[in-house]
Amino acid sequence: MALYRLSAVRWSRYNPYYMEPEPRREVYVSEKEKDEERELKRVRPIKAATSGTSSSLFSDSVISKFINVMMQDGRKVLAREIMTQTLETIKRKQVEKYHTATETKKLEIECNPYNVFHQALENCKPVIGLTSIQRGGKYYQVPIPLTDNRRRFMAMKWLITECRDNKHRRTHMYEKLAQELLAASANEGNVVKKKHDLHKMAEANRAYAHYRWW
Amino acid sequence: MQVRSVHSGSGLQLQAVAMETEPHPAKNLSVFRTTEADPARHSEQHAAQYYTLSPTHLRTVFPHGLPPRFQMQVKTFNEGCVMVRPPALEIISHLKKADYSKPALHYLLYGATGCGKTMSLCHVLHYCSTQGWLVLHIPDAHLWVKNCKELLPSSSRPSRFDQPVQASQWLQNFKVTNDHFLSKIKTTRRYVWTKRERTEEGRPLAELVEQGVNRVKSSSDVVGALLRELRLQAGQGDFRLAVAVDGVNAAWGKTSLKKEDKSVLLEELTLIHNMRKMLNNDWCGGAIITALSQTGSLYTSRLSYLPQELLGQEGFDKMDPFVPVPVSNYTEKEFESCYLYYMDRNWLQHPNSKCECYTGFMSDLRYPSTAGNLFIIKSFKTVCGPSYCSNFTYNIILFIMQ
Repeated sequence: MALYRLSAVRWSRYNPYYMEPEPRREVYVSEKEKDEERELKRVRPIKAATSGTSSSLFSDSVISKFINVMMQDGRKVLAREIMTQTLETIKRKQVEKYHTATETKKLEIECNPYNVFHQALENCKPVIGLTSIQRGGKYYQVPIPLTDNRRRFMAMKWLITECRDNKHRRTHMYEKLAQELLAASANEGNVVKKKHDLHKMAEANRAYAHYRWW
Repeated sequence: MQVRSVHSGSGLQLQAVAMETEPHPAKNLSVFRTTEADPARHSEQHAAQYYTLSPTHLRTVFPHGLPPRFQMQVKTFNEGCVMVRPPALEIISHLKKADYSKPALHYLLYGATGCGKTMSLCHVLHYCSTQGWLVLHIPDAHLWVKNCKELLPSSSRPSRFDQPVQASQWLQNFKVTNDHFLSKIKTTRRYVWTKRERTEEGRPLAELVEQGVNRVKSSSDVVGALLRELRLQAGQGDFRLAVAVDGVNAAWGKTSLKKEDKSVLLEELTLIHNMRKMLNNDWCGGAIITALSQTGSLYTSRLSYLPQELLGQEGFDKMDPFVPVPVSNYTEKEFESCYLYYMDRNWLQHPNSKCECYTGFMSDLRYPSTAGNLFIIKSFKTVCGPSYCSNFTYNIILFIMQ
């Protein structure tokens, strides 16, 4: 008998008996499912899929997460527009560079905007973070390890705040994002600089590392 | 790469055809590209193939004529390639056989948004230009009836309004296209612009255009004079005149321009008045090639695309009789050609947009729900549009295929 949650997950209104929906089509096409799992699915109820889930071949979970982080006031349509425009801008710039480059340089240019985005995000993720811990009346910035989710979130948040605050007012968000992503994928730009600053601070404060008790 | 037909019949089921790997031939251009750069020699055998516009032609023939998305594409791909399609071929064949001693014929390109009316018009204009015609191209008549910051009362007539900025910009572009003609054609009467400025009879047209470009205040009247001269002299047989207007429904539509809180009538705008006189087919020695456009038009329903709906009663009567040329979405062959072109230009990057997964995806998108369709088509229009010129179900793929 499959083990399922004994108590409700934080914030979820669903009874823990409900199963997650499976949007990926390859799971249904290839018959990888075992008999027991199929039996389970026949009997147990399934949660409703959110509007953000997609079974499209071109959907990307990291991109969806980025869109959600970028969204303000629940305007998902606008956030998605900006994201697709960003990807298009990145692709245009790279393809333009590709067509005007020499044969040897052509191999080095990355034209796929998804790869550029993933590379940029990787380059912006901090390895180690700081947290405020109180000892003897004073607060110290203590270096701590970060979970993968936290690192990804920090990278996305930095990218978006950098574009919103530190760029010229009259440029569109998608232009700003495209510039920043292209710079980050080449390990340049303000966001990567911010990551390096965080690493330096953590290195400087390594004496306090033992204040962490977990 | 073996080029196989992506569309295996018209059945609902698309079979997954196995890709045979062959050594990549040096340049498999023959399927979607043609080396024939002269539009006069294009025929049905070149249909659905791309021909390249040379950079000089791009600069001289189309300083302002190409649609903005196509200009972006030219910049990105470092070349301008236009697809040879039946509507353009039809008009070119008519132009070849027409009798130019009779009054000018109207050709009207109509079709749904995003089908390729403007691009077909540009193809025809390229033909006219290579044949040595004088090309009078108004890239978008809608720009003359809306969003005009400076509307001056006309210097020559009391009840008219001038648009100095639009007129002078258009004259500059006209000069770029037709420089070689301007020194040969002479004015037939004297024009008095102000107390101190005048253009005498018998001066070359270049002077007239200079006057309009330099003295922005009288540029709308210069445009009127220029059009009049060309109308009179085209019939004498030295040169042929091609009048091309995109968004011709603006000439008989509505404006959003206001003067002291009162709406301006179309008849009162100098530029529109002169354009209407030009579209009247009372002159010989040329052709009037026009295209409708709903996208920029004011106070028209988004779904309307037929000539009757967009031109209105008045416009239709003035344009009648015309040669209607319908422009439709890409056929399967044209779509495949487009797909191969984008593959060649390294535009389709996503691994799922390359051949193997393509068939599965196609079967999905052939029959999307109506809500999905509308959303996708709308987002196609505003977005990445890797494909230029054709919005229809197939094209959605190209939008998503990044």
